Amino acid sequence: MRQLLQTTLLLIATIFASYLSAETLTVVIDNVETADGFVMLRILQGEAEFKGEREAITSIQQRAVEGSITFSVSNLPDGEYAIQVMHDRNGNGKLDSNFVGIPSEPWAFSNNATGNMGPPKWDEVKFALTGEATQSIHFNH
Amino acid sequence: MKLNRRKFLSASSSALALAALPYGLGAGMHASAKTEDWSVMFQTALREKPWLSGYQSVASEQFNADATITGKWPAALLGTLYRNGPAQHEVGGFRYHHWFDGDGMMHAYHLSPNGVQHQAKIIETRKYQAEKRSGRAMYPTLGSVPPNPAAVTSPDVMNVANISVLPHHGKLMALWEAGSPWEIDPETLDAKGAYSFSDNTRGVPFSAHPRIEPDGTLWNFGYLSGANLLVLWHIDAKGKVIKMGKIMSDPISMPHDFVVTEKHIVIMMPPFNYSHPERPSAFLDSHDWHGDQASRILVVDKSDFSNYRWLELPSQWIFHYGNAWEDQNGVIYFDAARAKDPGIMTHGFRDIMKGIGLTEHVTQHYQYRLDTKKWTISEQPLMSAEIHSEFPVIDPRVSTKRYRRLVMMTSKHNNMPLHGQLNEVSRFDLDSGKLVSYRYPDTQIPEEHLFVPKPNSALETTGWIVGTAHDWHRQLTILNVFDVEALDAGPIATAKLPYAMPLGLHGKFVQH
Repeated sequence: MRQLLQTTLLLIATIFASYLSAETLTVVIDNVETADGFVMLRILQGEAEFKGEREAITSIQQRAVEGSITFSVSNLPDGEYAIQVMHDRNGNGKLDSNFVGIPSEPWAFSNNATGNMGPPKWDEVKFALTGEATQSIHFNH
Repeated sequence: MKLNRRKFLSASSSALALAALPYGLGAGMHASAKTEDWSVMFQTALREKPWLSGYQSVASEQFNADATITGKWPAALLGTLYRNGPAQHEVGGFRYHHWFDGDGMMHAYHLSPNGVQHQAKIIETRKYQAEKRSGRAMYPTLGSVPPNPAAVTSPDVMNVANISVLPHHGKLMALWEAGSPWEIDPETLDAKGAYSFSDNTRGVPFSAHPRIEPDGTLWNFGYLSGANLLVLWHIDAKGKVIKMGKIMSDPISMPHDFVVTEKHIVIMMPPFNYSHPERPSAFLDSHDWHGDQASRILVVDKSDFSNYRWLELPSQWIFHYGNAWEDQNGVIYFDAARAKDPGIMTHGFRDIMKGIGLTEHVTQHYQYRLDTKKWTISEQPLMSAEIHSEFPVIDPRVSTKRYRRLVMMTSKHNNMPLHGQLNEVSRFDLDSGKLVSYRYPDTQIPEEHLFVPKPNSALETTGWIVGTAHDWHRQLTILNVFDVEALDAGPIATAKLPYAMPLGLHGKFVQH
């Protein structure tokens, strides 16, 4: 994980490459509070990935910059997706949380879904990608 | 459903730790505004019932004044009485629908040889600051959902720090029930932000009635309704976390207070059960009263939080306990102001916000006997059913130990004042069963009173009873001092402020 964080600016899984209809998804996070650590983006395909039952296929990170940060993900086939973003401030490769599981680092989901008891539901975070698309996301602190 | 919740918890260390987010506190964030204007209703009622003035929204963010003293102020009574309570009941024209919703205000009554000086300041929580910037009520509270509410992404987003006060390891904190303690500068009363006892416990709910042993050891609990989880805290006198615990409770209630003995922690779960609301509603309304179900009693070993048992009592609702102790045979005794249901909270403290007077808060003071060898529990009245009690307190030096004396607020069913609220301060001696009371004039509504022992006195003997009252007739707040042994003779001295403060909740006296 450490290696992963320190290496690339962009890491995109390529298993979608075989699809003919490939689209570009742009994700803009507009409220990165500090330049500490990394901002990590996961593209989740299907509820199983969202629930953590299956590892997310696409995972990208950038060095954090204060203010706004943009990810562009190309070659995504049409389909139903969700996005999870976290600000890994201390660079330990995970979203830190306290001993009852309340996150202590900024996090967000697509559609800016926040949920109101535990996490948001798949229906609240999912979106259909059928062309070029942009998701504007705000971190929850 | 239950399985899913537990699964979320077990998964909390994974990347989807987001699981545990607001624990139900954000329930109802999509509710729409009520059409009736509670502010107008309250102001209309206030003209007819001037004693409602204690529920007005506070007029200013801060107050400072020297009090006028009458009577003979005890020279040895030196220190600061810190008090907290909901004070800003209206934000941007939106009047809250529950007394417990308002933003907290910290008060300091400094008692020095030069007299009594009062200082008060709104507790500028994160929620208060955000709403001050936007000029509107943004966040759901215990009993209200403002129009177009913002998302609640963690308990502290909506923390109003409005229930009680905790002076501990040189710090002063304002406590709420479902989030972090809020640190307050004890000199300026400025809010310093959410307080964390350790990194790993940042943001973990910390209830408003921690129990402090005479050596400074602190015990507390917290609840996370959406996760069916109770949290236990064990903190030393220096503020260091010794251990934490998690205990599942299904169903989970809204326990407000608890007791601690030399060896055990006892928490009652009245059958006021939380369930995720199908329709948007305030957090309070996500609970249903099940009067036909038992009140569940959790008994936990202080030395090992994984060692616990559940017992049962008939359904009942309790806000506050006085104290608890445990004899050599492992029998625990504790007392509480027992109500048959939480009606005062579900209805009474709502109605009063729109100017409907309080219905009588029917409580009776009970003693409980819990045998930790046979695992049985029983209850019996300590006082007559004609006497309603609340806010029971003790000499803080006997906390968690054998105790013989309670100080509490009371009212008598057959002698209620016009304003319908507790109107007496009483001393109850457990060994003799003797109750001594001072009845406040009907123009004054007394708040919680504390037992302040005379320095170096024998336990629970000489000292003072110190408490405030809202004088709705003269529109001012007073601080009274009574001699513990001569309570029924009335206050020996009174400090009078030049203004009236909203009615508050709990305080602590820090002796110098």
